[in-house]
Amino acid sequence: MAQRRELIKGSFDSLILCLIDQQPMYGYQIIKELEKRSQGYFRFKEGTLYPALHRLERAGLIQGRWQTLPSGRQRRYYHITEKGLHGLETKRSQWLDFLKAMNLIIQPVSDLHEVD
Amino acid sequence: MTTALSHYLDSVRENLKLDSSLEHEVIQELETHIEDELQELKQSGLSEEEAAKTCETLLGSAKLVARQIYEAHSQGSWTQALFAAMPHLLFGLLFALSWWQGIIWLLGMLVLVLAVVVYGWWRGKPAWLFPWLGYSLLPVVSAGLLLLYLPAGWSWLAILIYIPMALLLVCAITTKTIKRDWLYSSLMLLPLPVIIGWFMAVEPGSKFPDYWLQRLHDFGPWIGLSFLALAATVVAFIRLRKRWLKVSLLVLSGLITLTLVAFYADGRLSIPALLMLIIVMLIMLLSPALVERLLRHTG
Repeated sequence: MAQRRELIKGSFDSLILCLIDQQPMYGYQIIKELEKRSQGYFRFKEGTLYPALHRLERAGLIQGRWQTLPSGRQRRYYHITEKGLHGLETKRSQWLDFLKAMNLIIQPVSDLHEVD
Repeated sequence: MTTALSHYLDSVRENLKLDSSLEHEVIQELETHIEDELQELKQSGLSEEEAAKTCETLLGSAKLVARQIYEAHSQGSWTQALFAAMPHLLFGLLFALSWWQGIIWLLGMLVLVLAVVVYGWWRGKPAWLFPWLGYSLLPVVSAGLLLLYLPAGWSWLAILIYIPMALLLVCAITTKTIKRDWLYSSLMLLPLPVIIGWFMAVEPGSKFPDYWLQRLHDFGPWIGLSFLALAATVVAFIRLRKRWLKVSLLVLSGLITLTLVAFYADGRLSIPALLMLIIVMLIMLLSPALVERLLRHTG
């Protein structure tokens, strides 16, 4: 469990940027999307999302904007910025390289023979 | 919203230590999150009480959330850090270059300090304001000290009227600062033990003898150096994110600067006097935390 937490912690910012890149989202929506798309793998203390959002906003990677819903309620939607798009591009390629390298090492030896 | 969740938000608010507009946004955002969560949990069949309890568990520790949000915002830019260090640098220059003897320089400094303080207060009390705010109180303290040199009779009358009014003003400003964040009050009071240290080293005595001015002139470069050390402290303070590092920095800087004062004061600051100054410094830097707690409990 602790290892999973560490893994999520290291990739949390990338996950948020990926989701917001697809469409502007608010905090609660981000949490539900992460949980749904990862089939329950990405589950964490919800309050910890907000420090990450504020950190990304301070770094200029995302921008929060208040929007009033037809019901009169207000929600803060996060939009990705130009800087965020560049950052995400770099992170994405780093992740793909990492996954490729991990797969080459981590897959069982029998699989490698099959490929040969 | 249930009482437990209102307490949760209160706990976040108390530990955020951000300016009021940002604090309002953070709380509003968390409130919206809680409302969404409660609605979904109740739709899944939980009672109001069960939903509130689950929601609080899902959110995690209020103190941890507040601390992490604080750390996301607590680091100022290099420009803000340099601007915050500016009054210490200017005050240091006044002595290092002997400008303190020129009334124009003193008046210029006073006007600049007051202008920056008014601007900063009006802009919602950002972190860079507080070192300037400390210097804006200096003329109030200095005027009180100068009253001691009035002819006998007059001085007592002036002291009886002036000191309570000056104390009231200093206490009101300090309380307002503590309400914003006690750490800013410590930042504001940081130079005071150093100023007292140099005042004791110069030993003005009962009148204004020539050697008082001469000694101030002789100590000028070292006074400048001690304020340069304070400026460096302020830069580091603004750039640091974690609160415990900020507190440690202020205490460490206070100790080093006072030792510097004692070292360069050429034996005019005895060991008991230095120890007393260190105690005063610790009280000034750390007591605002206790006052904040007291203010919070008394509402």
